[in-house]
Amino acid sequence: MAVFKTKTAAVSEELASQIGESESLSVQLRRMARKNKLAVASAVILVLLVLAAIFVPILSPYDATVGDPSIRLKPPSGAHWLGTDEMGRDVLTRLLYGARISLAVGVVPTLISMVIGVFMGVIAGYMGGKIDYIIMRFADVMLAFPSLLLAMVIMYTLGGGMMNIFMALALVGWASVARVARSETISLKESEYVQAARSIGVPSGRIIRRHIFPNCLPALIVLFTLNIPSAILTESSLSFLGVGVQLPNSSWGLMVNMGRQFLYNAPWISLAPSAAIMLVVLCCNFLGDGLRDALDPHLNNE
Amino acid sequence: MRKHLAFLLALVMVLTIAAIPAYAADEEKVLNLASESDILTLDVAQTTDDYFIPHNVFDRLFEIKVNPDGGTDIVPSLVADYSVSDDGLTYSFTLVDGVEFSNGNPLTAEDVKYTFEHLLTAPKACNYDIAEEVVGAEALLDGEAEELEGIEVTGDLTFTLTLVAANAGYIAELTSPAMSIVDKETVESVGDFGTEPAYTIGSGPYIVSEWVPNDHFTLTRNENYWGEAPDADVVVMNVVPDANTQNLMFQKGELDIIDLDALDSSIIDSVYKTTYADSIVPGYRVGVTFMSMNENNEFLSDVNVRKAVQMAINRQSLLDNFYGGDGIIQNGMIATGVWGHNDDLEPINYDPEGAKALLADAGYEEGQITFEFSLDSSSGDTTAMVYQQIAQDLAAVGITAEIKSYDESAWLDFRKTEEMPAFLGTWTMDYNDPANILGTFFSNSTSGRSLNYANQEIKDRVDAASSIIDDDERMAEYQAIEHAIVVEDAAVVPLYERAHLFCIGEKVASFVPHWAGFSNFFVRDVEMN
Amino acid sequence: MSTLKSIVRRVISSIPVLIGVVLIIYLILRVLPGNAIATMMGEHYNAEAERTIIAELGLDKPWYVQFWMYIAGLFTGDMGTSIKYHKPVSELIATYFPVTIKLSVMAALVAWVVGIVCGVISAMRKDKLADRIGMGFSLLGVSVPVFMTAMVLQFLLAYKLGWFPIQGTKEGLVCYILPAIALGWSSAGSVARLTRSTLLEVMGSDYIDTARAKGRSVSGAVVFHALRNALIPVVTVMAIQISSLLSGAVITETIFSLPGIGRLCVDAISGRDVPLLQGSVIFATVLVIAGNLVADCLYSVLDPRIRKEV
Repeated sequence: MAVFKTKTAAVSEELASQIGESESLSVQLRRMARKNKLAVASAVILVLLVLAAIFVPILSPYDATVGDPSIRLKPPSGAHWLGTDEMGRDVLTRLLYGARISLAVGVVPTLISMVIGVFMGVIAGYMGGKIDYIIMRFADVMLAFPSLLLAMVIMYTLGGGMMNIFMALALVGWASVARVARSETISLKESEYVQAARSIGVPSGRIIRRHIFPNCLPALIVLFTLNIPSAILTESSLSFLGVGVQLPNSSWGLMVNMGRQFLYNAPWISLAPSAAIMLVVLCCNFLGDGLRDALDPHLNNE
Repeated sequence: MRKHLAFLLALVMVLTIAAIPAYAADEEKVLNLASESDILTLDVAQTTDDYFIPHNVFDRLFEIKVNPDGGTDIVPSLVADYSVSDDGLTYSFTLVDGVEFSNGNPLTAEDVKYTFEHLLTAPKACNYDIAEEVVGAEALLDGEAEELEGIEVTGDLTFTLTLVAANAGYIAELTSPAMSIVDKETVESVGDFGTEPAYTIGSGPYIVSEWVPNDHFTLTRNENYWGEAPDADVVVMNVVPDANTQNLMFQKGELDIIDLDALDSSIIDSVYKTTYADSIVPGYRVGVTFMSMNENNEFLSDVNVRKAVQMAINRQSLLDNFYGGDGIIQNGMIATGVWGHNDDLEPINYDPEGAKALLADAGYEEGQITFEFSLDSSSGDTTAMVYQQIAQDLAAVGITAEIKSYDESAWLDFRKTEEMPAFLGTWTMDYNDPANILGTFFSNSTSGRSLNYANQEIKDRVDAASSIIDDDERMAEYQAIEHAIVVEDAAVVPLYERAHLFCIGEKVASFVPHWAGFSNFFVRDVEMN
Repeated sequence: MSTLKSIVRRVISSIPVLIGVVLIIYLILRVLPGNAIATMMGEHYNAEAERTIIAELGLDKPWYVQFWMYIAGLFTGDMGTSIKYHKPVSELIATYFPVTIKLSVMAALVAWVVGIVCGVISAMRKDKLADRIGMGFSLLGVSVPVFMTAMVLQFLLAYKLGWFPIQGTKEGLVCYILPAIALGWSSAGSVARLTRSTLLEVMGSDYIDTARAKGRSVSGAVVFHALRNALIPVVTVMAIQISSLLSGAVITETIFSLPGIGRLCVDAISGRDVPLLQGSVIFATVLVIAGNLVADCLYSVLDPRIRKEV
């Protein structure tokens, strides 16, 4: 019985319930590529961004962490396309270096939380009974905390630094994934082919690997694209609260936060990373929507 | 059921307060101020930080007066007359006659004695350093005595005070906000008045009339005040955690005095030094911002490394670029404006090449020296910028200072362990005597500052200096000590004394900042239009 | 299972969750470096005073003793005394709660209005430009960090145009409009998405297909009818959003100087004020539980066939 659900969990369950298992993933993806140009464009933008973040040392003549304080807060110019920041560093260069951290912050903890969440959710859903009860009450406890406070407490406990941000965000995120994975598993468990496999004595581990997990995958991919933005935004909120990436490194969230006080006299410092966050969040959402539409049989029959 | 009622009542009260416009009568002179955080207690015995209430609701035996030329004098306040014995141990005081608390009780020698006892025994007492110097304080702290032996009440208005050890700076210490005189009868009756405006009874110019936690508190005039009535009738202190919001409020006329401390110098330059150029009231945060270097650290234990760090940091650039040049470079720990400040101390020159040479001579390879540079993330964006710039300066001479940020509580906890390798600290003077800073950081009783200053001879001399009765001799000794600490031992990197700027709005005619640049200034020094 | 019985079951099953929340907060705070007393003393740290006060407050007892005392206190309605504010936690929560409630309710309204309007427009003009704009607008709130939205609104609408107060609560409900927009807009995206997808699903169902097949246009009345069905999950998702609203409130309350529970929680964490943090988190958890309960009840009342998972 569902006692607790967060927004994402509810939305995801809604999504998950709409996703069918009839066609192979690649067929569905190809159909999406044909039909949904916006999703494709989003994917292209994300790929370009990743490439820019990888090749920024070649692309930019500036160092991301070394500035010249005598040229701080200078507006965009030929030398500094997006101006300079509060330390006299090139904003564009920092933005691209920041992309490395922010994209990592979006992807890595989301992946970790997916792994933990899927593991817990599938176990709970498949085993049922006491194990299900214990795992899901534990998930309920995690979901009952306001997520930002939980992340903050974890960061304060572990201290700043990238690995700790990954840990904090993963610990905050797994519970909602577990809920989706569990409800998927429960419905798959009742399906005829799983029942059949069980009746002929196929071991549980094999059933989970061969039948349950692959069929959860479409729902999880959608959830993955939707959880990335929330991780990036949570990191920016953590920066606002003074815990997060270590200076002089930059993440977009940290850049927005350090540039916040210059919103009125040097707006480029905070607007550039804000726009970058916005772009990634929108791209992830459109990509997620596109995937959902492509994987959703209800919407495909038009 | 009663819990529910109380809850409902509180709800109704909050809703009502929220619905009433703050002050309808426009004839009153209302002074609107803002603070980044709310006060936590009204009782100075329980805080070393929240001094707005002590300053404005209470009086002390002595005060520090700022002269028109910017210098300061210690002047008697509640004290009419006093004398010191030849050995410097015993003080005889006579109080001003006719002073009343805001509840009408006369202020007597018994209240002064009780104040010292309250500082030592109040629940959660933490501000008793000065009271602790009196004979019998230890016994009271340990619960072995009921009364403070060292203060003897000899009449309604007269008492004597005996110190454990002579301290020529004791009168200066009595100006500290910690030494605010409380009403014995009231405090005895409630025990802990820290959260109760109604029981916050002082003899100062204002009373606390309202306190809505984390929203605002209001001071109104004390009709029983014995001195000259202050100009502002009502003072509203709004709790506005975001500095940007304060900035917008001031420009909109919703604040009458803004503390510019939390704003970046670029905003002060572009907005305040242009539009409000004539309304800026400059002051100094009397005290030194310094970089602390832990002598327990593998590399920082070497005086050559410490000297190289001193030479590698471009202090003028820090001050000019991040603080708009508003401040004074300091070469010692006794800041400009503090009694005993030495203008002739050898300057620390910015010399990265010299620093490199020094390190090479001492046998270090480039990149070998590395230590953590610990940042308290609550200390503000500008401090974070200074950290980054210092790390960049040090990197230029081959020293790696790796910035690691902690939240305030974890940072303090780390520093307490004596293991924090390096950090930036600012010590704003509590009272105007070099003993305050040298005693805090370089004496034998220094604890939990992660400095581990190793020169035992100097530490002993710091402890001995406070009992030198002759002032000139004492100041000469402090200057010699300062020279040894900063120049010979290079124990710290003194950076600068920062200006503390305020800006006044149209309703304010004049305003004198606190002598040491505390944000918790004296409202009685504000004149309204 | 009758509705009443299921409600009772849900309340009972939430008790272990509450205890779990208290225990976890307690344990995390035990390993958290720093303590309330040293933090309060800050620059004027005094080891002797720290020891005395810690003993005075009983913070030197073993954790399980403190935890037991705390739980025992809870049963008598005593949530302990805040170390930082020197006041009973229940009193503090009672003072700060109304602010957060006003903020959350108004933010929820904003999320509803923006989310549903955008969702309906998007669904009706699926894959057209209006669909993209509608979804884009609602997602804009989600994709910009809340503090940026808050600061831009504050600067433009309060400072430049003077339509709203810059901060504070002195002028009554009008003070909550801007923070509520900043906060609500950030939740509008998910409402819009859900409205769009449920609406599409309802519109894709048989009777609308029939209408379409007969060559009729999808009239406003039909959309309205579809919307009524589509709103059921939307209504319930709103009740579930309390947790995320509380998270966002931390930031909006700071920028607009609102004395609410969000700031109280941050204060409690940064000041290592264990009783206060426990109190506020328990309170927030109770709200989340209550929100879920309302959501579940709405679900089963509005559409009993939806809930099959037991």
